[in-house]
Amino acid sequence: MKNLLALLFIAALAALLLYVVANMPPMGDPENPTATHVIPRYLEGAEEETHTVNVITGIILNYRGYDTMGEVTVIFTALAAALAVLGRERRGRIYAYVDRSGVPSSVIVRTMVRFLVPLIVLFSVYTILHGEISPGGGFQGGAIIGGSMIVFTTIFGLYESSRRIPQKVRFPLEGAAVMVFFLVGVLGMVGGGDFLTYAWPKAAAALHPALVTWLTVLVEIGIGLGGAMVLTSILFCMIREEEEIAVVA
Amino acid sequence: MGTALNLVFITLLVATAILAVFARDLLAAVIIFSVYSLIMALMWQRLQAPDLALTEAAVGAGVTTVLFVVTIFKTRRREEEEGE
Repeated sequence: MKNLLALLFIAALAALLLYVVANMPPMGDPENPTATHVIPRYLEGAEEETHTVNVITGIILNYRGYDTMGEVTVIFTALAAALAVLGRERRGRIYAYVDRSGVPSSVIVRTMVRFLVPLIVLFSVYTILHGEISPGGGFQGGAIIGGSMIVFTTIFGLYESSRRIPQKVRFPLEGAAVMVFFLVGVLGMVGGGDFLTYAWPKAAAALHPALVTWLTVLVEIGIGLGGAMVLTSILFCMIREEEEIAVVA
Repeated sequence: MGTALNLVFITLLVATAILAVFARDLLAAVIIFSVYSLIMALMWQRLQAPDLALTEAAVGAGVTTVLFVVTIFKTRRREEEEGE
């Protein structure tokens, strides 16, 4: 009886959803309401207004800067929550279960990881810095750095990787994304524009377009570094195991 | 050609989504879910959203999978059987 009711409810919900989807405007139709108001403005004005060649980056960091700033805050809050529950790893006494795994990583895997991790980091730097010209940007590059740290940690262990990126490096950089975003937003106000518009109307006219691009790149770098460090810190605090303090007789 | 490829992707997407829900082994479910993310990344690329494709591949298929696996290793791998 209960199952039947649930089934009926789900069927009704599915019918409703399918009905709504059937009435949605067809995908990719140039006559869609979404394609007739905001998008033409973005496509035509983005390069001139945001001074980024990649329209997506212009939308994400400039037109919808508030939205992205909220997302960055969400990521930072996730780290804060994970740290509040799990606690930070302490140096010297930490290990992860991968360190004590019964299957040690082979020489081939170690060599390949040692060879690949710098290349992955290089690619992520390219993704971050090239974000305003080509697809990619801070979030993506940061996630790729985080991925390379995960690969390194699973092969070489938590002790090694937390020695490579010690807490005193991660500590200030974890908040980098939020900090840089706010700072650049306020800088826009100082320059005579509005919050997060990147616009400096009072600056010299020749400097103005380049300045907007620089600020955008700065925000990208901040988001990239901050995101990478947040992901690394979340991973470390999740996989850490603490050595029992040996009682010295 | 394009439509056929889309159909294959969408079929795989629905199949992996259903499999990920029904898998009893949580590790298997996580791996299937990462396959779902990978197909989704390919779909984003086909929909001409390379930014999203990069994000989906790095975050969806990479980072979240590892975080899920870590969580599983820290807790219990198998789902509790009902009525036992």
